[in-house]
Amino acid sequence: MLNIPGRPGQTCEGPTRRELMRIGSLGLAGLHLPGFFLSQQAAKAANLQEKYRGARGFGNAKNVIMIFLQGGPSHIDIWDPKPGAPANIRGEFKPIKTKIPGTWIGEHMPMMANAIDKATLIRSMSYTPNGLFNHTAAIYQMLTGYPPDKVSPSGQLEPPTPADFPTAGSHISKMIKMTEPVLPFVELPRPLQESGIIGKGGAAGFLGKAYDPYRMYQDPAEPIKLEDLSLRKEIPPERLKDRFELLKGINQSMPELEKALNAAAVDEYYGKAYDLVLSGKARDAMDLTKETDKMRERYGLHTFGQSVLMSRRLIEAGTKFVQVNWPSVANGDPEKTAWDTHAANFGPLKNLHCPKLDRALSALLEDMDSRGLLKETLVVAIGEFGRSPRMGVSTSGNSNSPDGRDHWPYCYSAVVAGAGIGRGVQYGESDATASSPKEKPVHPNDLLATLYYALGIDPEMEIRNHLNQPRELVKGKIVTDLFA
Amino acid sequence: MRPLLLLASAAALAAQPTVTFLRDVAPILNKTGCTSGPCHGAAKGKNGFKLSLRGYDPQFDYEALLYDLSGRRFNRADPGRSLMLAKPSQQVAHGGGLRFEKDSEYYKVIYNWIARGVPYGDPAKDAVAAVEVEPKEIAMARPGEAAQVKVIARYADGQTRDVTREATVESNVPDVAKVDLSAKVSGERTGEATMLVRYQGKFSTIPVTILNPKPGFVWKAAAQNNYIDMHIDAKLQRLRIQPAPLADDATFLRRVTLDLTGQLPTPDEVRAFLADTTPTRLKRSKMIDKLIARPAYTDYWTIKWGDLLQSSRKYLGEKGTFAFREWIRESIAANKPYDKMVRELLTSRGSSYEDPAANFFRVTREPKPTMEKTTQVFLGVRMVCAQCHDHPFERWTQNQYYQMAAFFSAVGLRPGYEVGEEIVYDQRADYDMKHPKDSRVVPPQFLVASAAPVPIPNDDRRRDALATWLASKQNPFFAKAIANRVWSYFFGKGIIDPVDDIRASNPPVNPALLDALTKDLTDHNFDLQHLMRTIVNSRTYQAAITTNEWNETDGDNFSHAIPRRMGAEALMDGVASAAGARPNFPEVPEETTATQLPDPHVGKDGFLDLFGRPSRESACECERRADLSLPQALNLVNGRTISDAVADSKGRVAKLILAGKNDAAIVEELYLAALSRLPNKAEAERGQKYLSGGTRAVRSQDLLWALLNSKGFLYIY
Repeated sequence: MLNIPGRPGQTCEGPTRRELMRIGSLGLAGLHLPGFFLSQQAAKAANLQEKYRGARGFGNAKNVIMIFLQGGPSHIDIWDPKPGAPANIRGEFKPIKTKIPGTWIGEHMPMMANAIDKATLIRSMSYTPNGLFNHTAAIYQMLTGYPPDKVSPSGQLEPPTPADFPTAGSHISKMIKMTEPVLPFVELPRPLQESGIIGKGGAAGFLGKAYDPYRMYQDPAEPIKLEDLSLRKEIPPERLKDRFELLKGINQSMPELEKALNAAAVDEYYGKAYDLVLSGKARDAMDLTKETDKMRERYGLHTFGQSVLMSRRLIEAGTKFVQVNWPSVANGDPEKTAWDTHAANFGPLKNLHCPKLDRALSALLEDMDSRGLLKETLVVAIGEFGRSPRMGVSTSGNSNSPDGRDHWPYCYSAVVAGAGIGRGVQYGESDATASSPKEKPVHPNDLLATLYYALGIDPEMEIRNHLNQPRELVKGKIVTDLFA
Repeated sequence: MRPLLLLASAAALAAQPTVTFLRDVAPILNKTGCTSGPCHGAAKGKNGFKLSLRGYDPQFDYEALLYDLSGRRFNRADPGRSLMLAKPSQQVAHGGGLRFEKDSEYYKVIYNWIARGVPYGDPAKDAVAAVEVEPKEIAMARPGEAAQVKVIARYADGQTRDVTREATVESNVPDVAKVDLSAKVSGERTGEATMLVRYQGKFSTIPVTILNPKPGFVWKAAAQNNYIDMHIDAKLQRLRIQPAPLADDATFLRRVTLDLTGQLPTPDEVRAFLADTTPTRLKRSKMIDKLIARPAYTDYWTIKWGDLLQSSRKYLGEKGTFAFREWIRESIAANKPYDKMVRELLTSRGSSYEDPAANFFRVTREPKPTMEKTTQVFLGVRMVCAQCHDHPFERWTQNQYYQMAAFFSAVGLRPGYEVGEEIVYDQRADYDMKHPKDSRVVPPQFLVASAAPVPIPNDDRRRDALATWLASKQNPFFAKAIANRVWSYFFGKGIIDPVDDIRASNPPVNPALLDALTKDLTDHNFDLQHLMRTIVNSRTYQAAITTNEWNETDGDNFSHAIPRRMGAEALMDGVASAAGARPNFPEVPEETTATQLPDPHVGKDGFLDLFGRPSRESACECERRADLSLPQALNLVNGRTISDAVADSKGRVAKLILAGKNDAAIVEELYLAALSRLPNKAEAERGQKYLSGGTRAVRSQDLLWALLNSKGFLYIY
């Protein structure tokens, strides 16, 4: 190895404050989109403002936290108890009162019973799958707004392809301009997964890999390494600055090429990459040691709790879309980590899953609210489906234990909050057995349409798929009644 | 059967001079958007009412109106109370909003039609036979001018009608020429556009040219290297566009080496080429021949064809992928005539190990996807839309989709004797292709008739007839599609673009050029090397990226080169070769380059995929991406690929330092290695100054890092 003398290696801590002040920022300032695009964007924005003028909740949100409970949590045991239903339906848990008058939830969600006054509980999520009943198909439907065409109930799973519809976060991170040197779309702590299929429904599909989420793939409850976001050891900030100065000179000495590439926004991406690495904002946002022990404990000292805490830090730093996935593969072992409670339902929910979800989600709502972040951040907590109200029956072709519950997309629950969503409200209602919505059904596409709308994006806008065919961003109804 | 009875009675009514569904009502449903994709034309209809997409199936729509809701859509006694009028005119709530007013002409037409008993009309009389337009083409002397388009429908019975108001007129480049609802075309800026006119499934196009009005244009003829330049110049002169001059030798060498072999020229090659005093045209021509003869040429085009034929272990297994790739490699190394190569693919049968071309069928497996791939890759025609409905912007019908798929309906796959082996065979029974609408047997039929008729046997060997028809000089699509596709590899876009979406509504920017390339290719028996050699020898290909006042807004007519981002494999290999680092992929022999990898399984989810290497999930050219994004910039700036390469202990910088080279020599060598050119005086001085400002090894690494991150490296220009 050639010995390179010079500066001592920097640690992953990154540059000091003083170093940063010396170097300054060369990225975002002075870089701009060519005027043509700007005027087009302005024209589009004006039309959109006109279309949704005066509409409740339009454009309220600046960013999104999607807490995606892959595996399919049992809505009847957690959010929508039916004490009056027959024993083989109502299950073992008792209902408890919440801060929403007349709305009771499962006894193992006591902190959420209190924190629900900051959120809306939707009890009428519902859709009928196109003959497909596995997790991957349902996740794809939930997050892209389109039914998958190649995922079959027999377990024939299709990995992500460039023909896939993009996941919501990819669309959003492409459409919304970043103002801070941070990552636009982050997925924690690991990608969506069923068996060996990783990331289906959670990728950029035909938008191209450039719009895939930044996937941390580490456990935030453990010390984490972020090599690509940290300056490399042998490259202290001064050296990176020198390199960029050199680069600028080389580019400038090829003026014809500069002119021809004017519209390609190369400098903009380079400026952002520079800021991202140098400012350390993205890395700091993922550094949970900057939180107090008390705060970390409030969210729960486990992978899920710490991921949810990290999502708040990322949003604070300027990330547009954070997706926190339940940190277990969707079809994992319920006795350990998964919501997929075919083989065992009540024990795992009571002892493992509900306490984690209850703690982390209530902490997030309270913490975001007290920091004022809930005003501009839409928080959604939902799974790809609920679970069969009747125990021990097979709806998906899986076998179930007598107290197990199978997949159930026809009726389930979601918690939504922030960006003007009603506080302490129940929306929709299920029937006597939580089997189907009694009123105000909300299709996953309706929820997605509402999410785009909250961000000021027209859900009806035309997008072009990989064959350049026109498609709607999502075919759903905006549920304006969710907004207060 | 109800439809038959209905037709009989409808025909009787149509005898009177009256309004019919076919002639009068269906166009209104299309014009007012009822049959559009977001409304009732959606695959599942809207709010329980389904019409065919853009009204391609009027009989279906008629029956839907008549029978759905037990006929509640019509009240013949009081037509105004029919849902079909009350909804779109918003007399009752309508999810689709107001489509026409109660006092509108459309309302009256439908009212009268209901009042007269909703006659269907007679397809032999009332169907539209052709759409005619006036004027046939539009030429404007300057932006700001306008022209009115008139659309005439000619019916099957010979009658005509002005349907300008009901027809749809769209511009393919609205920022050059836009069109309003009254079919008035206005010129926005200098350039060309095509108006696509559609009416009742028939369509026509109008080319629009808007000239540059700036005074003082004098055509300065530049040397023409071959017929390509002749056709390009003819068009440029007409549009008052002055082409760019030739690129200099270093730029040419870098561009052509990357385009033909996917590799950068070495510093020594650049020096030798610059020192060679042979006259430019000859010197370049000789270099082109040398490059085509290199093994790297074979590697590079094996990647391209591996992409298009989806050679991947996901479909073919490991052994199958290697066999298929080897077959592709040998075809390219031997410069197998393209028609022969395609015939071998389409007629392959037997063991996938013994006849590796048979892997072609193992990727798509089923007749329909095999047909879609065959037409898209070899004919540049996308049939996929026509599976569910007639193609909205083309003449291809749903029937044709199944007729073409029927050629492959007898192809079967069964396991072979060895692990992973499959046998492609022609089934003896039950292989008929059935139409989804009524399950009738659809016999195979060619998409278009060939000048030299090919008999179609109605047996299990029908695909052989398809191969004969498809890969023939007389096929109007086959040679044209590949000529256009190959062109796009050297210019970043096709003469028709996208290259695999050839249709009347997507016309070539220079038809004469495309025809000439096509003829040249067939005259030379589908010799692809000849085609490439002709293209890269042209002045048009060798033009600089520099623009002048006459061509600076032109991005369509190849009047100057346009920078293209290096492809994923070329970029990765370029970093390695410029830095003198050795590529290091798992599962393959040492020093295998990115361009030599067998399939996208190797190095998955790494640098190559981030930079848009196709995963070979489809045969679409669009899988390969050439955009630039934040994660890519992050990787180039701070990722391992470049950072490790410049600091490689056996790399170029290390060797230069250890050899004791001086600053001037180091700067020159790094410019040659990364940008394939010598630094100019200012660059050399700046580089040397930087090197002398600190530890030379560190500083040299910085310089190489900056060169590899510069636009001059990332782009082919």
